[in-house]
Amino acid sequence: MADTPLQGIRVISFGTGGVIPDFGMILGSLGADVIKVECHENPDFMRTIGADPDNIAGFNESNRNKRDIGLNLKVKKGQEIAGRLIKVADIVGENLRGGVMKSLNLDYESVRKFKPDIIYISSNGYGSGGPYSEYQAYGPMLSAFSGLLSLWCHPTDPYPAGANVPLPDHYASKMLVVAALAALDYRRRTGKGQFVDMSQVEMAANMIGEYCLDYTINERVPQPVGNRSPYAAPYNAYRCKGNDEWCAISVFTDAEWQSFCLAIGSPHWTREAKFADLTSRLKHVEELDKHVEEWTLQHKSREVMIMLQNAGVAAGVLYRPAEILDDPQLGWLNANIEVDHPVAGKRLYPNVPFHISDVTLPPSRPAPLLGQHTEEICRDVLKMSADEIKTLKDEGILEVSRRQQQEKK
Amino acid sequence: MSEHQEGALSVYRVLDLTDQKGAFCTKILADLGADVIKIESPGGDATRNIPPFAGDVPHIERSLYFLFRYANRRGVTLNLEVADGKKIFEKLVKKADVLVEAFPPGYMASLGLDYQALRKINPGLVMASITEFGQTGPYRDWKGSDIVNYAMSNTMITSGFGDGAPINLPGTPCCDAASIIAAISILTALYMRGDGGQGRYIDTSVHECSRLALYPWMLPMYSYNLNPGAPPPPPEGRLGAMIYPVYPCKDGFIRVVALTPRQWDGLVHVLGDPEVLKQPQWREFYYRIGNAADIYAVMLEFTTQFTMLELFEKGYQEGVPIVPIYSIEGFTNSLQTEARKFYSEMKHPVVGKFKYPGPPYKWSGTHCEAKRPAPTLGQHNEEIYCKELGFSKQDLAALRRSEVI
Repeated sequence: MADTPLQGIRVISFGTGGVIPDFGMILGSLGADVIKVECHENPDFMRTIGADPDNIAGFNESNRNKRDIGLNLKVKKGQEIAGRLIKVADIVGENLRGGVMKSLNLDYESVRKFKPDIIYISSNGYGSGGPYSEYQAYGPMLSAFSGLLSLWCHPTDPYPAGANVPLPDHYASKMLVVAALAALDYRRRTGKGQFVDMSQVEMAANMIGEYCLDYTINERVPQPVGNRSPYAAPYNAYRCKGNDEWCAISVFTDAEWQSFCLAIGSPHWTREAKFADLTSRLKHVEELDKHVEEWTLQHKSREVMIMLQNAGVAAGVLYRPAEILDDPQLGWLNANIEVDHPVAGKRLYPNVPFHISDVTLPPSRPAPLLGQHTEEICRDVLKMSADEIKTLKDEGILEVSRRQQQEKK
Repeated sequence: MSEHQEGALSVYRVLDLTDQKGAFCTKILADLGADVIKIESPGGDATRNIPPFAGDVPHIERSLYFLFRYANRRGVTLNLEVADGKKIFEKLVKKADVLVEAFPPGYMASLGLDYQALRKINPGLVMASITEFGQTGPYRDWKGSDIVNYAMSNTMITSGFGDGAPINLPGTPCCDAASIIAAISILTALYMRGDGGQGRYIDTSVHECSRLALYPWMLPMYSYNLNPGAPPPPPEGRLGAMIYPVYPCKDGFIRVVALTPRQWDGLVHVLGDPEVLKQPQWREFYYRIGNAADIYAVMLEFTTQFTMLELFEKGYQEGVPIVPIYSIEGFTNSLQTEARKFYSEMKHPVVGKFKYPGPPYKWSGTHCEAKRPAPTLGQHNEEIYCKELGFSKQDLAALRRSEVI
C-alpha cells in the first residue's frame, strides 16, 4: 500500500491564474510530484499582480505543494524539454488561452504521439470546439456568461455586481481533480489515457442546473430572488450591532419558528396571526424582516448566531477572515495551516479538507519561486548532465530563480 | 465523443443516501459512469418537494431541483428504520463499492449502520459522510442552510454592492463545494483500494469546504495584509463592481476584466479611442479600483453605443477580456453552448422530453453524459430487489404492504 495516495504520480502543469494552479496544488497535497512550467518572460499571471512575483498571497496559496521549472517554451528546444517531462509523467494540466498549447506543439494530439497513455486535462474559459474557444477569459467573466451572475443580485439592484471572487475557478479546479483521479483509476484498469476538455462556463452552469431547466422546461427566464427563499421565512442576512456586521438566519419549519420566537424572547409581534405559519410569513415577509432586524441590531452578529444555533435554528455570521480564525469548529478540524515561505515568511492558508481514514497527507510545502527547482528537476527527472544543464541555461532555455542567483552573489 | 458506452467509473456501484449536501457528489460519479442507486424513504425524498416544478405543478416527479441533481441514477425506496429494511440495505452494501450519506452526525450509528458496522459486511466499502459541520467538534450539531453556509464561507461579506446588503449566491454552492471534495476523497480512497484492498471512511463538512471552492485566497490575502507594494483595498469589502466592473450597453450589460495596462489600452481602443479615457493613471488596475465610481460615470457614454456581442468580439480582437452578462436564456442559446452540445435531450416518464444541461467536460476515451433521467419514486425496485437481490414479486408486494419499501 502506498504511503500517500498519489505517491509515484507525476503531473506537469502549464497553469496560470486559478484553475490549473489550484488543481496542481490539490494533487500535490495528495502526494503527487507536481512540476509547474513557467519562465520569466511568461510567468503565471498571478505573479504579476503585485510588486514581487514571489510574494503574492493568491499565487502562494494556489501553488503550494509543487516544484517549479524555469523553461522557455517559445523555442523548439524548450518545447522538446517539456515533451521529455511529459514522457515521464502521468498527467498534463493546462489552462492557457485556447490554441496556445497547439502553437507550442504540446496539445493532446501532439503529446499522445509520444505518450499514448497520457491523461491530458485541459480547461478553457469557454471550452474547445466553438466560436469563442480562443477567447481569453477569467473566472468572473464565466459566471457572467453562464447566466449565474444574472441571478446573483437583489431584484432592486441596477445590475449584478457579483463578489470579489474569481467564481467558478476554484470549483473548476476541484472538478478537474475529480476528472484526473477518475482517469487515473480507468488507466490503472485498462492502460488507457485520455483527454478531458472542460468549459469553465459550463462549470458555472452546473451550479445552477435547476435554473437552466426552468428555461428549457417552463420556457421562463429565471429572475434574481435576492436573499429570499420560497420555502423559508425568516430567510435573509440581517444587520447586527456594529459596522457592516451581519448574520444570516433561516427558519424552515413551524417547530423552528417556535424555537426562533422563544430564543428572541417572544416579543409581542411574534404572536400576530400574520406570522403564524410559513405561508402567511412569506406573504408578510417585508414586515417580518423588519421585526427580525430590530432584534438583531441589538446584538453582535456572533451573539445572534450562538443564541439561535443553541435554540436549534440555522444562523451564521457573515464571516471575515479574522472570524474564520476564531471559529472553534474550523480550529477543531485543523482547517487553517501556517506554511513558511522563503520570501513571504510564515503565513496562514486554508488546509485541504481531506479527512480519509488511514491516510496521512504529507506536510504542505510553500509555493515555489520562479525557477526554484530547475536544476534538480533536470538532474533527477530528466537525467541531464551538469554540462547539458549549463549549456541550456547559457542558451536561455532553462532559467533558474533570479532571487536565488542574487542571494548567491 | 459519445460513441463510448463505458464511463471512466462504470465498474463501480454507489449507494446514494444524500440530500442537497451530497446530491452533486453522486451526480459527478454518475456522470462518469458509476452505477448510482438513489435510496429514498418510501414516502420519497424531501428534495422532490423543492420548487419550482415542471409546468408549475407541485408534484414529487416534477421538482426541477430533483430532475437536475438526481439524473443518471437508478432509484429504490427503502425504510432504513425497520429491521427488514436494514437487512435489505446490508445486502445492497455487500455489492457496493461506495456509500455516500448526508444524515446528521450519529444517525447512521443509531441505526447500527455506521462505518464500523458496515465494514464488517464489506471490508472494501468506501463510505463518505457529508454533514453541515462535521462528525465531531463543538459545532457538530449546528444547523445549516444555503444562506447560512454561504455567510460562513467568508464570501457573502464580499458579495453585492459596497453600500448595500450582502447578497446570497443562487443554487447550492456550499453544498456543491462539499460534494466535490467528497468526490475527490472517494476517488482517492478507491484508487488506494485498487483491486481487493481495504475501504475507507470519509468525513466531509459543508462548513470546511465552502470557502475552498468559493474564495480560498481570502485568508492568505488577509494574512499577507494584501500584496506588499500594492495599495490595499480591504479584502473583505464588497468590491465586485470595482474589481470587475459592469457597464451598460445597447442591449444589456457587459463585464470587463482588465488587469494589465495593455488590456486597459485594448478597452480604450474598442471604445473608439476617446481622449477622455486616455488618462495615464487610469491604466493602473488598483487606481481604477479606488476610483471606480468616477470612471464608471465617464465610461457609460461610450459603452452604451455598442451591443453586448459587439463589445465581446471587439474585446477579443483587441486583447481585452469583455463578456456579455447573459441570462439563462442568453447562455442556453449562445453559439458556444450549442456548438459544444452542452444540452442533451432527455425523456422523463412524467415530464416528457426536455433539454438537460450536461457535465462541464467532454472526455475523449470514455462516456461522460447524462444517460437517463432522475428516477421516479421506486422506479427500479423490481429491477434491483428482484433481479439483483433475488426477491420474488410476492416478496416485493409484501414489503410494499408493510412499508419496508
